[in-house]
Amino acid sequence: MRGRVLVADDAAFMRQMIREILEAEGLEVVGEAVDGVEAIDQFSKLHPDLVTMDIVMPRRSGIDAVKGILELDPQARVVMCSALGQETLVMEALQAGARDFIVKPFKPDNVIATLTKVLEKES
Amino acid sequence: MDLAKYRTLFLEEASEHLAEMSRALLVLEKDPASTESIDLVFRMAHSTKSMAASLGYEAISEIAHRLEDRMQVVRSAGRIEDAADLPLLFRGLEALERMVEVVRETGQPPPPDSELAQALGSTPGLKKKFLRHP
Repeated sequence: MRGRVLVADDAAFMRQMIREILEAEGLEVVGEAVDGVEAIDQFSKLHPDLVTMDIVMPRRSGIDAVKGILELDPQARVVMCSALGQETLVMEALQAGARDFIVKPFKPDNVIATLTKVLEKES
Repeated sequence: MDLAKYRTLFLEEASEHLAEMSRALLVLEKDPASTESIDLVFRMAHSTKSMAASLGYEAISEIAHRLEDRMQVVRSAGRIEDAADLPLLFRGLEALERMVEVVRETGQPPPPDSELAQALGSTPGLKKKFLRHP
């Protein structure tokens, strides 16, 4: 699978974990962001094919960042990274325009299946 | 997955998170409505939960999740309303610190603290919708 991905998560641990999962499948992680403000900023500079976005982050939340990114590019593909117990927030993010979501702790097969589906779907 | 590498990452980042949580709880002792500190404790608990769950440290994930749930209620209220909450939050923090030390010293998942998990999940203001394990 090919694609340029921006990874947004405030935890270095989680960024490293998702990076390894993506790179093992041939995806290129072109940037990382540690909060919602940086996610929007990096998106505008890097124009990635897809963004993985944590929901709970400082400065601007993942949901706010989805809105900010979609204002820059309405066709942007953003996949939320959620944890159990965040169903309401996931629904909010999907309503805001996120394409799909993956659940922590990450299962590599599920992550790749979701991202493949989102990347292969026409904008 | 290189478990040793991720364990090291976890120990570094969880220790930083717990130190930040400790500082924020000390601020909340003086100012129970400090939005910045409330958000910080919530985020640190959330992040610690996810990292611990990724490595199978269920006991850490459970206590962190209970703290996160409790802080979600505090966030909604905009302040720590119940005077009994703060000592309980400190107990949760201390338990996490102990558990992280167990991982550091043994490399093994720490044992659960069911009594504390129950105490953290039993506040009258804690709405069931926030609980994964009601």
